Amino acid sequence: MAAVHDDHAHGHGHGHEHGHDDHAHGPPKGMMRWLTTTNHKDIGTMYLWFSFSMFIVGGLMAFGIRAELFQPGMQLMTPEFFNSLTTNHGLIMVFGAIMPAFVGFANWQVPMMIGAPDMAFARMNNWSFWLLPPAALLLVAAFFVPGGAGAGGWTFYPPLSVQMGMGMDMMIFAVHILGASSIMGSINIITTILNMRAPGMTLMKMPLFVWTWLITAYLLVLVMPVLAGTVTMLLTDRHFGTNFFNAAGGGDPIMFQHIFWFFGHPEVYIMILPAFGIVSEILPTFSRKPLFGYSSMVYATASIAILSCVVWAHHMFTVGMPVTAQLFFMYATMLIAVPTGVKVFNWTATMWQGSMSFETPMLFAIGFIFLFTIGGFSGVVCAVVPVDIQVQETYYVIAHFHYVLVSGSLFALFGGVYYWLPKWTGHMYDESLGKLHFWMSMVFFNVTFFVQHFLGLAGMPRRVPDYALQFADFNMISSIGAFGFGLSQLIFLAAVVKCIRGGKKAEAKPWEGATTLEWDLPSPAPYHSWVTPPVVK
Amino acid sequence: MKNETKVQRKASFLQAIKAVSWAFFGIRKKSDHDHDAATLTLGQVIVAGIIGAAIFVTSVLMMVKLVTS
Ligand code: HEM
Ligand SMILES: [Cu+2]
Repeated sequence: MAAVHDDHAHGHGHGHEHGHDDHAHGPPKGMMRWLTTTNHKDIGTMYLWFSFSMFIVGGLMAFGIRAELFQPGMQLMTPEFFNSLTTNHGLIMVFGAIMPAFVGFANWQVPMMIGAPDMAFARMNNWSFWLLPPAALLLVAAFFVPGGAGAGGWTFYPPLSVQMGMGMDMMIFAVHILGASSIMGSINIITTILNMRAPGMTLMKMPLFVWTWLITAYLLVLVMPVLAGTVTMLLTDRHFGTNFFNAAGGGDPIMFQHIFWFFGHPEVYIMILPAFGIVSEILPTFSRKPLFGYSSMVYATASIAILSCVVWAHHMFTVGMPVTAQLFFMYATMLIAVPTGVKVFNWTATMWQGSMSFETPMLFAIGFIFLFTIGGFSGVVCAVVPVDIQVQETYYVIAHFHYVLVSGSLFALFGGVYYWLPKWTGHMYDESLGKLHFWMSMVFFNVTFFVQHFLGLAGMPRRVPDYALQFADFNMISSIGAFGFGLSQLIFLAAVVKCIRGGKKAEAKPWEGATTLEWDLPSPAPYHSWVTPPVVK
Repeated sequence: MKNETKVQRKASFLQAIKAVSWAFFGIRKKSDHDHDAATLTLGQVIVAGIIGAAIFVTSVLMMVKLVTS
């Protein structure tokens, strides 16, 4: 092949019929490959490694938080630094770890699953990724500027966010950049899915992972500009004399919260819908049965996405609003649990009477269903106004959203990595390492976060570096769990690195129950896949 | 399947509303769904979806008014 190609390169410009031979060059070597790549697989890989490193950075911050909370009293750090840690732990996990990880999955999987050769806008794809490292740099560097990193919470509430030093400006710019990256990524995903499906792949034949990403991408395009807009208003309040959020100047700090949560609630669904998609791929494969209620799943996803835009003020029940508004947001929030419940029902029904096997991806998927449901229920508890007035800004809320985000989104991501690693690397991962990773994560996760429900119900406020003596025991348990959970993630790293380095050769379709298109490609998937689109019947 | 699409192109608007209402609940019978997929157009679904969202919001609001009056 190379010889043929050389001929043609040194020959005369009769290149047309060989046009596609450009591909045979393969990627350039070294750093330039990664800087200039427009290949969806390379970009997906970079997204995934970026998000893993942010996961480590955010995780180290959590170590700091839990170390300080190990015992009552102030031991390790100043309260200001503690607040910077909670703030940036949240921001980095949301924008640096979870969201880019899902975009990484979309890059790898969407083209392979719909039979497309690459993403629609390959160069923009490169740009969406390379915006991320500068944003991460801004977030981390903020710790070293005068005044330290932003410390008013990941939610940017004024007046604190208007008062802080330049660390806050860096945080705002980072969010601008991350938002631009997400919007470009979403446009790319939407265009790819709508225009580049293989012949015969109608919308209603798309794998559920593709569907959930399509809907998520629309949500992202809808709400990221809202976030960018409102943090820009903060910026002008800070530096250009506007008073959007300054009561003394006729502004309204509460308005910030409304705008922020109009972004913020859809954002939490942005972080869970692709997770639903991954779980909906894994469960049928290891139950050896088609997904129960495929069309219901599509409908439920769309309906969750729409409804998620009218529930935002459940984050603000203690801020003060008319009782009509409280009831509206309470009812709407509880109704959104209905399509979510439909999904849990469908997953359970998919496993029902299937011939199940319990490889690591399946373990994570089942762990997901089990623990996400607990998180969904504590969400409904928070939605009840009189209850929420007790638990808002307490550890109960922390417990709720870690059940949906860690044992929800993150577990689905882990499951997805193990599920598709054979396709990505061409090797099988080490099953016993995977299982060890699952069980350690499962146990330590619950040790860390289950007790936080009780702490919250007993009244321990969130975002505090010190606490009253009666909370001491549960906090110590929670901290021990957190250290265990964090260290368990080294097993994940070991399993992935080991799988990349070698291992049993993976067949094209290592999971006998798998049905989607990517399994028709060889393992590892060739650098350019589906150059001629498959025909879907 | 293909021929069917040709024959009964374009469903009534009522059908679009019906499909969207079921979608809000998150459940749809397989046969009804196949029928929808064959006859509904994207435009119809989007318009019905927006109307559906408006109906959802007003009915929750009415419910609230009822409870607080
Ligand atoms: C059944 C579905 C759900 C319901 C009913 C629900 C309800 C709620 C409510 C009422 C709150 C506000 C609690 C308070 O601040 O007092 C809340 C907070 C939160 N929820 Fe959920 N939720 C659900 C699912 C999810 C999912 C799927 C995610 C993300 C994957 C999520 C992430 C969050 C986060 C991050 C917060 C806290 C934000 C903050 O204050 O920092 N929730 N949820
Ligand atoms: Cu919410």
